[in-house]
Amino acid sequence: MFLQFIINGLITGMLYTLASLGYALVYNTTRIFHLALAVLYVVAAYIFWHVTVVCGFPMFAGIFASVCFTALLSLAIDRLVYFPLFKLKASLSVVLVSSIGVFTVLTNLVALTWGNEFKAFGSDISRIYSSGNLIVTGKQLFQFIASLVLIITFFLFLNRSKTGLRIKAVRDDSELYQVLGFSLTKMRVTVFLLSGAMISLASCLTAWDIGMDPYVGMPILLNAIVALIIGGAGRFESCVIGGITLGILQALVVWQWSAQWQEAITFVVLIIFLFLRPQGFIGEKSRVV
Amino acid sequence: MDFLYHIIIMIGIYTILALAANIPVGLANLLSLAQAAFYGIGAYLSAFVLLNFNIPLLPGLFVVAITTGFFSLLISLASIRLKGDYFILAALGFQLIVFSVLYNWTDVTKGPYGISGIPPPRLFAFIELTANFQFAILSVSLAALTSFLFYYLVKSPFGRVLKSIRSDELSVSISGRNVYQFKIIAFFLSAGFSASAGFLFAGYVKYIDPTSFTLDESIFILSALFIGGLGNVKGCIVGAAVIVILPELLRFAGLPDNIAANLRQIIYGLALILVMLYFPKGLAGDTMLK
Repeated sequence: MFLQFIINGLITGMLYTLASLGYALVYNTTRIFHLALAVLYVVAAYIFWHVTVVCGFPMFAGIFASVCFTALLSLAIDRLVYFPLFKLKASLSVVLVSSIGVFTVLTNLVALTWGNEFKAFGSDISRIYSSGNLIVTGKQLFQFIASLVLIITFFLFLNRSKTGLRIKAVRDDSELYQVLGFSLTKMRVTVFLLSGAMISLASCLTAWDIGMDPYVGMPILLNAIVALIIGGAGRFESCVIGGITLGILQALVVWQWSAQWQEAITFVVLIIFLFLRPQGFIGEKSRVV
Repeated sequence: MDFLYHIIIMIGIYTILALAANIPVGLANLLSLAQAAFYGIGAYLSAFVLLNFNIPLLPGLFVVAITTGFFSLLISLASIRLKGDYFILAALGFQLIVFSVLYNWTDVTKGPYGISGIPPPRLFAFIELTANFQFAILSVSLAALTSFLFYYLVKSPFGRVLKSIRSDELSVSISGRNVYQFKIIAFFLSAGFSASAGFLFAGYVKYIDPTSFTLDESIFILSALFIGGLGNVKGCIVGAAVIVILPELLRFAGLPDNIAANLRQIIYGLALILVMLYFPKGLAGDTMLK
């Protein structure tokens, strides 16, 4: 049984990693406490659902539509809300509060458009692969492979491509980046598009298995943020370490106690990390102001 | 008439909650997302006190406020140890942990079923507050009392130190003030005020369950504060009045309930964005979020 929970935790953890990368792209480069990402997660799932279930397109068309739409919406949020505030030299708290505003508006628009009730993708019993006591559903296997490919692609992109290196440069020192003659405004476009795409992929992969309602985004986003913090804010590798740790930890909580305490334990872990090891597993020790 | 009393009671409760949030947020610029947690702890403690002890209103209220105040130590500790978004995250974590405990610790809190049949509080051991009219008076008096306390707090040396923590924490501690102590007292007061709103709520509604004290409620309280404006009493009253009356107006406009609920949220969300972008002082505030 133990191994079964580890496997389930690992797969959940990889999905957290994807969401966490979406958050880290914005947070590491702009320091925006991007709570509106939670609603992008929800929007992505609904677009996917609408295109595949209501309009009857194949699954990959649904994911493609969802990724494009979410990326553009993410960019629109930056252009309409965050960027004007950035121009006004608003503080992080102000941006956070406006982000909460965006979250509230869009969540309720989703609820008005698609209804408050739970939605799922068909009721087909997917194939089950088992070996001994271990059981993995076909959807889980797909989630595992897809997120593994996505994570590897992301890191290849980040470490090999020119854009990826620029993202890391902005993360290290955005002022120096501008001094060297690059445009931070253009970089924001890239970062927000990528962030939206990433959260959309995380969302589609998850919703396809367990369905969604308009309020699923915030718990996932909070897990993603906790993953980034316990991994070490400021880096991208920390999303992988933090996400998988968190996924497995939560699975073990379910194994030992019960699912209802998952959330509380997650945040207790967060608070322990914030107090005792704010730099996370692999972050650099720095004074946070 | 009962409808009018209901509106007055709710405005009173939200005025108190907004004032409570105003102490850390408006004066010391500590964006606390845990206000609904204090409100919830206060409401549950009040239910416990009212159900189990036959003590009059004021001592009961006092006990609840002080006990809730001690829970705030966790948040003030975080505000001392952590800066900027790390503090916000810790407060958010506290809010979610409190909700999770209220929801899942069924032996004590009865979890999602909530606590029902809370007896009405008694004034001076013999007058039972049962009528909505009496509650409206209680609510207005408590809100007025909180407003006076807040008004004097802002003008007092204590309030001035809090405001200077907001502009420059380092120089406050260089001038020999114990910043930690001020933060601890600020959150203690904030939690105590929120708890008294929780007392009113538990005594008035007579039934509480954890869903009244979610992260959304924290955001809702902060919306009242930001829409009204930071730093003074006026802003809190205006903000509370707006967020309580607005849904009623939507109901009068004849919208079906399920649409009205979402529409109301959309209006609050838009208001938050617009306030942050164009009216940083809200409708009647003195200062803005820094």
